[in-house]
Amino acid sequence: MDLSFFFVQLISGLTMATFLFLIASGLTLIFGVGKVFNFAHGSFFMLGAYVGYQMSSVWGQNFWLSLVAGGLFAGVLGMVAEFFFLRRIYGRADEGGFQILLTYSFILILDDLVKLVWGTEYKSLAKPESLRGALSFFGIVVPTYNVAVIGIGLFVVIAAWWLLNKTKAGRIARASALDREMLAVLGVNVPMTMTLVFGIATALSGMTGVLAAPLRSVTPGAGIEVIIDSLIVVVLGGLGNFWGAWLAALLIGEVNSFAIVFVPKWATLFSYLVMALTLVFKPEGLFAPRKVRRV
Amino acid sequence: MASPKRIASLCLLLLLTAIVSSAFAQEKVVKIGALYPMTGRSGIYGMDSVAAAEMAVEEINAKGGVAGYKIQFINTDSKAKPDYSVTVAKRYISDDKVHFLFGVVSSAVGLALTEVSKQEKKIFIGTDHAATELTAQNLQPYYFRVSNNTFQSMAAGALYLKELAQTKPWKTIAYIGPDYAYGHAQFEELKFNLDRFGVKYQVVGDFWPKLFESDYTSYITSIVQAKPDILVSGFWGGDTVAFIKQAVPYGLFEKSLYFHPDAGGNYELLSAMGDSLPLGLVLSARHHNNWPDTAMNKDYVTKFHKKTGRYPTYSAEGAYVGVYAIAEAVKKVGSPDDSDALVKALEGMKFQQPEDPEGFVSFIDPASHQIVQMQAIGVTVPNTDFPPATRMLGQWKVYKADELLPPKEWVEKKK
Repeated sequence: MDLSFFFVQLISGLTMATFLFLIASGLTLIFGVGKVFNFAHGSFFMLGAYVGYQMSSVWGQNFWLSLVAGGLFAGVLGMVAEFFFLRRIYGRADEGGFQILLTYSFILILDDLVKLVWGTEYKSLAKPESLRGALSFFGIVVPTYNVAVIGIGLFVVIAAWWLLNKTKAGRIARASALDREMLAVLGVNVPMTMTLVFGIATALSGMTGVLAAPLRSVTPGAGIEVIIDSLIVVVLGGLGNFWGAWLAALLIGEVNSFAIVFVPKWATLFSYLVMALTLVFKPEGLFAPRKVRRV
Repeated sequence: MASPKRIASLCLLLLLTAIVSSAFAQEKVVKIGALYPMTGRSGIYGMDSVAAAEMAVEEINAKGGVAGYKIQFINTDSKAKPDYSVTVAKRYISDDKVHFLFGVVSSAVGLALTEVSKQEKKIFIGTDHAATELTAQNLQPYYFRVSNNTFQSMAAGALYLKELAQTKPWKTIAYIGPDYAYGHAQFEELKFNLDRFGVKYQVVGDFWPKLFESDYTSYITSIVQAKPDILVSGFWGGDTVAFIKQAVPYGLFEKSLYFHPDAGGNYELLSAMGDSLPLGLVLSARHHNNWPDTAMNKDYVTKFHKKTGRYPTYSAEGAYVGVYAIAEAVKKVGSPDDSDALVKALEGMKFQQPEDPEGFVSFIDPASHQIVQMQAIGVTVPNTDFPPATRMLGQWKVYKADELLPPKEWVEKKK
């Protein structure tokens, strides 16, 4: 393998990693803050893609406007779902079971909704005009759009880190993950915080859906497919760990990319293998911080 | 003790029941129990199949039915699940008293239903699933398939590549297809046919992403590096859309000839991709909306469009033809009740179909119960006759039906 091909493959892996991370980040955020596992996270991704399709391909709007619309729509719907449904099961005995049932039912409902509105045919969305070509340097060809996606992924990582660590809202969000009662006593509207966090996470998922649409086919049922991949990332990264999710996405993306070169027949096996090994030897996640012992 | 009056009224009631039920019995029906997926990734194939089957039923019934029977078509969502479909099929036979099992998109469901058909001695008309084994090593007397199997597509594909070598010499191929039975069978059948027709080739890579993979970037860069002259693809549905979209900016289609002979030319792809579908790709499918240029095909496509507001994907034609096959067989036998007589009628039966070019009539091969059809392979060209597609196939090459069936030694080896 010559050096330039090595880099080409490295960047291919990075594209995959970025999408994995963008989807997993919202999932991680919700879990990190509210300890909610949102099975329907992928369905907000799908919904975003359809809203983007409607705006761009049907109404002829600008791609970037569609990106915002997809995010907003998914975000608002996410908040509605949290406010009217999820909120009612917090703190119940066996909350985990209820979470799975409830969010799984969101998947079924959103899938049917999409089918009612847009039918079952595959839909397609064009890339924005400015990002259609490819960049070429030192014999390495990378589609401009993929570079933009990688850039957006990096931006989200940095922005999320800044939000969570450097702002008051971020501190409140992190604190509500640790001790909700104390936070409520201090006068913070904890339920509202949860709704907002849920909205931000689903908005992120919706935007990612629009961003992925020019590269994939927009189809009902896409939600359940992306959730499986991002599940691997979330588990590897350590549930609720933002940086962990990013590193895990990079790992899965690159493992996959190089497995395709060296063992093309078994390439799909490797991400599952990494997950299985992690679960056996470090079940709390590859990148989970060491547990602080509580006395 | 019952009074005489009471007995008399009971008798009257019995008499009435007899009259009513005989009145019902006079409405004679051929009952078809179909199983198509209406949801999920293959939902569009199910929807189109049901619409086309109903179209055929309406046409036949409007002309008074067959042999004094009206045709009745029922469908249940197969959910593309074999075990669930088996349960429904058994209920169809025991409770609904269907005369025929019908349909099925997924080969896994097809393989499960052919077992039910064999046990219950109910004819199963396969209209879409393409796994060759159903009409080869797993063939049972009550199964018939009215659409192409993958072997026929791959045989036509091999002939196309053979011809191509004469005008545009090529040496190497790579294959990419979904990592399950359908994908693997295609590659194996293509290689078998290339050998059979004496084509020289070298495989420089085979790639097996999972079904419904969403990110093909690393596969694409790897294929570009392998530089095959021909890239053979075995995808179906949205996977093709995703792969092509992701491959365009890498210039893959300028470097290698994209060749996708089984499901690549499906209208669903043409309509979903619009202008973003590159020109010059070599594709085929089991039915084309713009080939052959016959009155029957035009009529079929126009009627489907009128009924549903969209142009049909290839699966629709299989269902349409399947209903006509049943009607023909019932007409020959005179009733839908004798499965064995119907099997005899179907074996070797000839009947005209939308995908038959001028001067050719499709027929069911008595040995394999597989329909024998022509296959046309085309190249993507600009064409706006079937919106929303802006590209259709053209520059057709057509392959004779009888060259495409699996040879006996291949079937024997598989057993």
